[in-house]
Amino acid sequence: MEDAGAQAEIEWDGGGGGADAVLGLAGGGALVSLCYHQAFGPHDDLVLLEAADDLLPDLLQGRVTVRGRPEEEAVLCTPSATYSMKFVGTSNSMFLIPPGEPSAKCLRPDSTNGDANAVAATIKLAPGSIELVRTAPRLDKLRSLLRERPYILDEDLGNDFQHMKGLYTWQDLCKLIQASDGELLDGLNTLSAVEIDGFWRTVDANSVNTILDMILHNSVLHDWPLNAMPENDVLSVMESDGFTHKIVTHCLNRFGTKVEQEARSFWSLDEKRVCLQFAQRVLGAGKMKLANFMDKWERSIPSGMRADLQMLDGEVLCEKLGAETWVHAFSVADLPLTPADRFAALFHERPKWEWKDLQPYIRCDLH
Amino acid sequence: MQIQVQCGCGEPSCPEWAVVELQGVAGYTFTVGYHELAGTKVTLKNPLLVLRKTKTNAGCGEQEPPEVELEVIGIIRHKILFKDRPKALISKPPTKEKKTLQPAAK
Repeated sequence: MEDAGAQAEIEWDGGGGGADAVLGLAGGGALVSLCYHQAFGPHDDLVLLEAADDLLPDLLQGRVTVRGRPEEEAVLCTPSATYSMKFVGTSNSMFLIPPGEPSAKCLRPDSTNGDANAVAATIKLAPGSIELVRTAPRLDKLRSLLRERPYILDEDLGNDFQHMKGLYTWQDLCKLIQASDGELLDGLNTLSAVEIDGFWRTVDANSVNTILDMILHNSVLHDWPLNAMPENDVLSVMESDGFTHKIVTHCLNRFGTKVEQEARSFWSLDEKRVCLQFAQRVLGAGKMKLANFMDKWERSIPSGMRADLQMLDGEVLCEKLGAETWVHAFSVADLPLTPADRFAALFHERPKWEWKDLQPYIRCDLH
Repeated sequence: MQIQVQCGCGEPSCPEWAVVELQGVAGYTFTVGYHELAGTKVTLKNPLLVLRKTKTNAGCGEQEPPEVELEVIGIIRHKILFKDRPKALISKPPTKEKKTLQPAAK
């Protein structure tokens, strides 16, 4: 094409491309002439995106974003789903004709206007289009980001701008993580993350244990049944012990379920989640003989709760070394999410697996 | 980074573009008719949206990467597809009646 600069200034997007005439062709009879628009050119700023009908409402109503860093492969996100974007080229010649009634400016200004046919003009030959393929949200990065700076009780972040390193707001995460808002929120909940002062944080394990211990200690002191702890009482007592409502509520949510009764809120602690936390604490120092572990674990859990090794499926691994059985922590939550990486990690841990041991680590949460 | 996909037109009034597709690389135009092409109007299985990418460097510092915006400016639901080989049109087909060659006229 002659002058790329000049052609960029020739208006083609004010209607008048002639698409209406082309689309109105009923076959047999009507004739439309097709010519090159004066502004015909590469128009690299125009791209075609293939969109299934179920995506159109989100796309046409501004509910879609493209996310990722420049070096990553872009993904397109609706409020609840993530799609990879793949350019698919075509060897055909796809001429694009802008909308509107025909009144186009053809490339050859000397074309006779004695031509009674309607004239449609093409402005671009499309090299292909972008296809969307539904894909798993890329959440592995979320875990590593939030582990940079876990929340620690009584932490002092400081006021220096440098101290913002490792702290991420919701907006920061939307820019860095290739996932839809809905999937990002699910990912945060899976990590038991909590938003404190605008930053999404995981809570350091020691801090979690301190808070849980305090809740349990207070429940004995104040006679709160573990399956019906009165919310207001728990929050006010813990507050006077120096724990914010937010962090206490977060822990209650992590280890229990809220129950409404007669317009009052109660929390019921979940035996499995609480016992798991204690098991992880006991195994914090490394592998132990099974009998030794079971003894320590049973003595650490709250009275009224029962320790059962089956609760720890997908959280610990047992192995026979000689005559003894040893146990160590190995949590599914620490494994990569992508199938190939997960299997690599599993076989790195153990070259051979029995199906019953492997199953908890490859359950349905893999995409 | 995060790029919001904008659409000023809204769902019911998204302007419709047309596409004329030729199989292979086009080496001819339609306004000169020595070739006849048979084409059909095809409804696309999945509509195509026409997006325009704009880069705005609206007064940002050297640290900030240029902002990219994506806007939906149209939708394509149909195309006219020509995929058969063009048929050459000869305006005066040669007569096939058997004639003996006449000697040249005087």
